[in-house]
Formats: sequence, structure tokens, C-alpha cells
Amino acid sequence: MNYLAFSAPLSALVLAPFLQSVINRTKATLAGRQGQPLLQPYHDLWKLLRKGAVYSSVTTVIFRLGPTVSLATGIMALFLLPLGGFPAPLAFAGDFLLLAYLLGLGRFFTVLAALDTGSSFEGMGASREVLFSSLAEPALLLALATLCRLTDASSLSAMLAGVNQDLWLGTLPALLIVICTLGVVLLAENCRIPVDDPTTHLELTMIHEVMVLDHSGPDLAFNNYGATLKLWVFSAILAGLVMPLWQALGLPPWLAFGAGMLTVAIAIGVTESVMARLRMDRVPKLLLSASLLATLALFLQQR
Amino acid sequence: MKMLLESLLLALILSNLVLLGSTRVRNYVKVIALQGFILGLLTLLLHLGALSIHTLLLSGGSILLKSLVFPWLLIRAIREADVHASVEPFVGYNASLIIGVLLLPFCFWLASRLPAQLMPTMASSLPIALFTMASGLFLIVARKKALTQVVGYLVLENGIYVSALALVGEIPWIVELGVLLDIFVAVFVMGIALYQINREFDHIYTDQLSSLKG
Amino acid sequence: MNSSLLLWGMLILPAIGAAWVLLPGLSVQTILKLLVAGVLAVSALGMPLIWQVFAAGPVQLVDGWLFLDALSAYHLVVLLVVFSLSSLFAMRYFGFEYRSGIFDALQARKLAALWFGTLAAMVLVLISGNLGLMWVGIEATTLLTAFLICVHLTPVALEAMWKYLLICSVGVAFAFMGTILVASCGRAAGLGDTAALQWTRLMAVAPRLDPATLKMGFLFLLVGYGTKVGLAPFHNWLPDAHSQAPAPVSALFSGFMLNAALYCLMRYVPLVEQSTGNAGWSRQLLVGFGILSILLAAAFIIFQHDVKRLLAYHSIEHMGIIALGIGLGGLGTFAALFHVFNHSICKSLGFFCAGRLGQLYQTHDMRSIVGALRTAPVWGGGLLGSLLALIGFAPFALFMSEFQIMQAAVASGAFWSLGLFVLGVGVVFVGALGHAITIAFGEPVSGIPAEAAGWLDRVIVYLPLSALLLLGVWMPGFVIKALEQAAHVLGTAL
Repeated sequence: MNYLAFSAPLSALVLAPFLQSVINRTKATLAGRQGQPLLQPYHDLWKLLRKGAVYSSVTTVIFRLGPTVSLATGIMALFLLPLGGFPAPLAFAGDFLLLAYLLGLGRFFTVLAALDTGSSFEGMGASREVLFSSLAEPALLLALATLCRLTDASSLSAMLAGVNQDLWLGTLPALLIVICTLGVVLLAENCRIPVDDPTTHLELTMIHEVMVLDHSGPDLAFNNYGATLKLWVFSAILAGLVMPLWQALGLPPWLAFGAGMLTVAIAIGVTESVMARLRMDRVPKLLLSASLLATLALFLQQR
Repeated sequence: MKMLLESLLLALILSNLVLLGSTRVRNYVKVIALQGFILGLLTLLLHLGALSIHTLLLSGGSILLKSLVFPWLLIRAIREADVHASVEPFVGYNASLIIGVLLLPFCFWLASRLPAQLMPTMASSLPIALFTMASGLFLIVARKKALTQVVGYLVLENGIYVSALALVGEIPWIVELGVLLDIFVAVFVMGIALYQINREFDHIYTDQLSSLKG
Repeated sequence: MNSSLLLWGMLILPAIGAAWVLLPGLSVQTILKLLVAGVLAVSALGMPLIWQVFAAGPVQLVDGWLFLDALSAYHLVVLLVVFSLSSLFAMRYFGFEYRSGIFDALQARKLAALWFGTLAAMVLVLISGNLGLMWVGIEATTLLTAFLICVHLTPVALEAMWKYLLICSVGVAFAFMGTILVASCGRAAGLGDTAALQWTRLMAVAPRLDPATLKMGFLFLLVGYGTKVGLAPFHNWLPDAHSQAPAPVSALFSGFMLNAALYCLMRYVPLVEQSTGNAGWSRQLLVGFGILSILLAAAFIIFQHDVKRLLAYHSIEHMGIIALGIGLGGLGTFAALFHVFNHSICKSLGFFCAGRLGQLYQTHDMRSIVGALRTAPVWGGGLLGSLLALIGFAPFALFMSEFQIMQAAVASGAFWSLGLFVLGVGVVFVGALGHAITIAFGEPVSGIPAEAAGWLDRVIVYLPLSALLLLGVWMPGFVIKALEQAAHVLGTAL
């Protein structure tokens, strides 16, 4: 067993909240603010972990299970994910399907927990979350399938290892479509503008945030941490795709990967700064377009 | 070279899909301008080996006409006929997009059935040309506004232009000039017609142009 | 005279005419007279040229860009006759409107310039030896004639114009795709980029052209030019445009614009036939669309109340008959070409009379236009005569050509086609005869002033009518010879 392989998930566990703060810092800079300290997410998590949890008397065990399961699935997903030059500890043919469904399982429990509270707002958020993620899922799977075809590999590690400069030069159009699709999926799955606004404070317009309103203390910390892990997973895939561009500048793989991560985070921050949130009924069109784009790429590649 | 061609063709596909999913009339004009530009570049690409003055003039002319003059005419028509900003479809945007993506394999199949001897450098553009034609036709039948039909007609013409590049490469310049002139006049005439229809009817919805029957 | 000078003259003269009528300060009367003079001058230029083609064979100029053979020369005759008659009638028709105060110099200028432009475009269609240039001509006729429909800006006229403009433009765009496919066959057979569009050069290598691509191209062409011809089911624009346009313009549409598009289709038939081993593939398509058009028009003719729409549906029917004739081949080709001339002058005459009666009765509703034979004997008689001829009454030339088409159907054993053709024509006969009788013999409506027709009116009505009668009973030898030459171009040996 190669212990080095575990460096990837471990570094992810440590660095995931930091990614969040890079996005926040980008948004703050573009808005002309100074922004919170870069370590603020860690402080928040630490603060929440020290507090006690409050449970409503109408909730059941499902409510308590929600945050735990979503965190657990997030961590499990990390083990399928290669980082930089390091392959993932776990890699087998078709593991990207497992990745998609692990994230789906986490979401399923978050939704169940939200429904368990019996609050109308949380039910509304759950309904939106399910609608949008069910539309985002085909886009994710089609994009990954296209990547499969492009690299002739069937595990996530092999796929991302197969993305190199030759592939960029040879199949630029298809790769660009995949990146766009995954970008849209990232924004949708992680409740980012233009799909959802992570900083909104109006229950009526919330999607993800409204589902976790009733969680407190360590539960909320689990939830938030799980969310940053999910963001990390998507960003890491995208970073793996843009890595060859940085490698072309002569950076070693791990540094190129870090630069890729920063690129993705800054891109998210810029997107959030320059775009307004879409009207709720326009979101399905965006996600549908992403799915169709991925279909297109897959078709053009299949030919 | 091949990459550049493929990127241009992909841009053409995407521009058609954007048209199918677009909700704003102004977006149509932008996409039309973009398509004109792509077409001009494709023409240049085809003749890259042997650039002649008349190729340059023709591709320059078609870029000028299709990506500047036509959009300008359309914008003028929008302003003068006071066209409302939204597109108003018979077939919804999402359905249009799905139909568009389903049309694409069909066009590839159609192109593969065509045993024509293609221009070697442009062979891969035939299915996309057919797709562009199909998108144009779809826009003509699936959108309510008369202006949208003009846009659909232009897209159809663009598709035919690309097919011509793929099938015969070079058309005698007199013919090409005549074709360009005809299309220019067509857009011009349609613009005037739009203006007059708007003045007489106070709207430009083709589904309400139905007093003549039988 | 030099034939190249004549050919160029036929293109340039209308341009000069168009520029002339646009000069400021001309009165309506002058513009209308210029219109007639210009068209007659172009006809005068055309005559020696046509003579030369029939006597000495095809004329080819400018490396084959301009080309006139028996088929195009024959169509040129029809074009010039229809244009001359229509121009004469336009002078009368718009002169009357001018006196009623609904036609001003601005409209006259627009009309005359577009009229000349249309003439030039149609001449270009006929004299170009290049299939691409031919397409340019057809598309130009669409655009130029669009505004002729709405000389009077009314909502319905605009509606008709929009439908015409859009449907025909899209249709003709398809034809361009077909042209390109044909050209690609030519290139594959080793022709250069100009020669691949030249009809004569393509014919020379016809057996080497790729049949599958050519078939696909012909399908595009059939849909494309078929739209402009008004073949069912692409005919939607036709009744609207014909009924809303001023009568002289309708006459032009029906009398030659449809034929111009059909002429383009005819150009491709021998090419496709030769390349696909003379199996009759393209001809069968023409038979199918022809019969569909006849039957569909018949159905609409029965229930028609608007006299101009009635005539428009007759156009669809007769275009179908011509397509059927070409499709049957042999004697059918000959008869179809003969029918082209008969239908064109008969239909022009019909629109002339319908238009003039419409001015007198202030309506085109056939339930109101009654007793026309007594109210306006010349125009009423003309309409009766043309309607009778259109439905195939015996001594008229249209009966003869339809009869020959039936003979051709029998000769080639196409009994299904024959049956359907007879059915359609029979329905039309019964349906339209009723209309014709009420228009002519009904009790005249009071309050319509009796019309005193001048000598020019009589010429406009009686000349075509007597020609139709004459050709019905006796065909001069030179007519038969000319038709045979034209039919020979279509690959038919009699």
C-alpha cells in the first residue's frame, strides 16, 4: 500500500475551507472590500464544533443523521479523487459513477433531514434542490462520459491523468465543452450564483441554505464542512482539466494543480461577482443547456 | 489548421443552439453577426493554400455584408417596427434546444448518406451545414414574429453557403456576387415589408396574418 | 443583326427603362406609355433572336454564360407575348385607376420600375446558360415582384406579400442547395468551377454524374422551384398573392412567373434522366406532384367565390397539368410545352377580364359579378371565353393540349395517372362551369354603368381569344416544328 496515495484526500480535508476563503476574497476584492481573513472558515467551523446542538422535538433520528451522512459521503468521495500528480487511493473502472452517487446520497440525506423538520420553507428548499440537482446530474454524467471517451480511460484517476497537453491540442473544442458543462454543474451543485446565492438571507429565495436552517452546533459544522468538501471535489476535477495549461508554463504537477485550483476558485469568484442570480424558472434552461452541450460533445466525440 | 476548422464548425453549431434557446430578439442579431464572421473565416480557411484577390474580396464582402450590414438592417427594423424584446415561440425554448440537439445526429446521418465527392479540406463541414439549414427552417416555423422568420431565412442561407463550401468549394464569382446581392435585397425588402406590416397591423405576428384563406 | 448585341439589349433595355421612369416629373400617363413602349421594344429585340435559334440552332455567348436554345427561345416567346399583353392591359387598368384617383405618380413610378426589373430578371432566367445565374434570376423575380403585390398598401395585400416573399425565398433557397449539389456532381466528373454549373457542359458528361447525389439535388430543386411554380403542397402563397395583386400583376405572375420556375425544373429533367439511366425517376416525381396539384386545385375550385382566387387555383391546376405532361414524356412533353403557351395567354386574359370587371363591379366576389356579358360585353365575353378555355372546352387550344396529354398517358400505359387526371379535370369542369355561367348570363345588377370598350380593349381581349381558337383547330407547321425542337431539348424524340 502506497501511503503517499493518502496525501491527496488528507490535503483535501485540510485545504477545502481555504478554497472557500479564496472565493470569498476574490468577491470581496472585486466589490472593493477588504474581505474576511483567509482563515475565517476554519474559525467558524471550530466555533460551531464547540457549541451544543439544539434539536426540535418534532424531528426524528433522520434529522440528526443528515449532516453526518453528507459529511461522510463527502469524505468518501475524496478517496476517489486524484490530486495533482497523485492518483487516488481508490481507482477502478467506472468509479466516476460512484462519485456522482456518493454526492447524490449525501444530498438525499440533507433533503430528508430538511423534510423531517416539517418546516414549509425547508420543504420548499428541498423541492428546489431536488429539481435542480436532478437536472444537473445528467450534465455531470455526460460530461464525465465525454471525458471517458476523450482519454480512453474509465476511472477518474486514469481520466485526469490522461488529460495532457496533447489532448488539449488535439481535442480543444470537446474539452472546452466539458469544462463549461462541469463549470455549470459546479455552480449549480454548490449553490453558487447564478443558480443560488450562498450569502442570501431571505428564506424565499434560498435553495441550499434554507435546508440547513434548523441545524446548529456540530451538525451545522458538519454540513458546512461537507459543503466545502463537495466544492473541493468539483473544483479538483476542473483543476485537473486545466492543469496542463499550467504545466505548459513549466510548473511541476503538484504546483500546476494548486494553480489550477486557484484558477477555478478565482473564476467562481469572478462569475459570482459579475453575474446576477437567474430567475428561478430560468435555471432549468441553464442546466438543460449544460446537459445538451455535454451530449453534443459526447456525440461529436463518438462519431 | 484542422483544429481551427473544427473550432469554427463547433462555434457554428453552438451559435445555432444559442439561436434556438434565445429568448431575446437582440440576441438573434448578435448571433447572426457572429455567424457571418464564422462564414467569412471558413471561406478564408478553404482557400488558405491559394489566396487570390477575388477570394479575399469575396470573403471580405461576405463578412462585411453578413456580420455588419445584415445586423444593422435587422436592428433598424427592430427599432422602426418597434419589435418587442422577447421572442415568443410556438415551440418552447427548452423543447427547441432538445429538438436542435436531436437534429444534429440526423444531419450527420443525412450527410453520410450523401455520397458526393466533397472538398477534401472541408468535408467535415457538410453535416454542420445541413444542421444550420435545419435550424434556420425550424426558427422560421417555430417562432411567431415576422422578424424571427427573417433571421431563420438568413440562417438557412448561411447553412447553404457552408454546404456550397463543402460541396463545390468555389462558385464562379459572378454567381456568388449575384447570390449575395439577392440575399442582401431579400433582407432589405423584408425589412421594408416588416415596417409596413407593423404600420398597417400594429403588430408583426405571423400567426395573426390569417385573413386570407381557402 | 449581331445576336450578342440583341441578347445584351434585352437585358440592358429594361434597365434603361427602369431608370427612365424613375426620372422625376413624369406624369402617370407618360409612365404607363413608357412601360408599353419599353416592353414592346424588348419584344422587338427578341424576335430576330428567337427566329435565329429556331432556324439555325442554339446561340451561345460569353463562354456559355448566356445560352439560348429551342426550349428557352420557346419560353422567351411566351414571356414576350405575356409581357406585351400585360403591359397594354396595365396601361388601361392603371389609367382607369388614375382617373378614379387611387393611383398616383409615385405608385406609377414604383410599378413601372419594378415591372421593367421583373422583365429583365425573367429574361435573365431564360437566356442564362449557367444554372447559378438562372437561380439568381429566379430569386430576383421573387424580390422584385414582392412589392408589385402591394401597389395598393392594404393589410390583406401586405399579408399576401409577406407570405409570398417568405415562402418563395425559403423555397428558392432550397433550389440553390439543389443547384450546389448538381454542381458538386459536375466537379466530381472533372468539370471546372464555372463549367460545373453550365448546363451544356453538364449534359455532355451526364452519364458520368453520380446518380445518388444528382437525385438528392433534384429533390431539393423540385421542392425549391416547385414552391415558386405553385405545385401542391407548396402552393400556399399562390392564391393569396394572385388575388391581392393588381390584375396586370396577377396576369404576369400566372402568365409567366410560374412558368419561369417550371422552366428551371425542366432544365434539370433531361440531366437527371440521362444520368440515372433514363429510368424515368425524375419524371415520375413530376407526374406525382402534377396530379396532386390538379386534384388539390380541383377541390378548392368547387368552393371558390373570389374570381381571382378561382383563377389562381386554375393556375395550380394547369401547372400540375404541365408537370404531368413533362413527366409522361414522349407526346406528353410536346403537349405540355404547347400547354405552356395556351395556359399563359389564356390565364393572362382571364386576369385582365377579372380585373376590369372587378373595377366595374367594385368586387371580386363571383356571387356579385353577374350578367357581365350584358354589362360589359367585351370583358364579360373575355372572362367567359377564358374560363371555358381553362376548363378544357372543346375548340380551344387548351383542350387540344390536354387531349394530347391524355393520349400520351394512354401511350405510356399510365392509366392510374390518366384516371386521376380525368377525375381532377372533370371536377374542375363541373365546378368552374357553374361559376362561368352565372358570371356571364345572370341577371345584371342594376347601377353598374354599361362599359363602352375602346379598340385597345378589344385587341387585348380578342387577340388572345382568337389565338386560342385558331391553335385549337389548326396548328401551323412552324409552330409544330418549334415545339418539336423544344421538346427535343427535353430529351424526347417524337
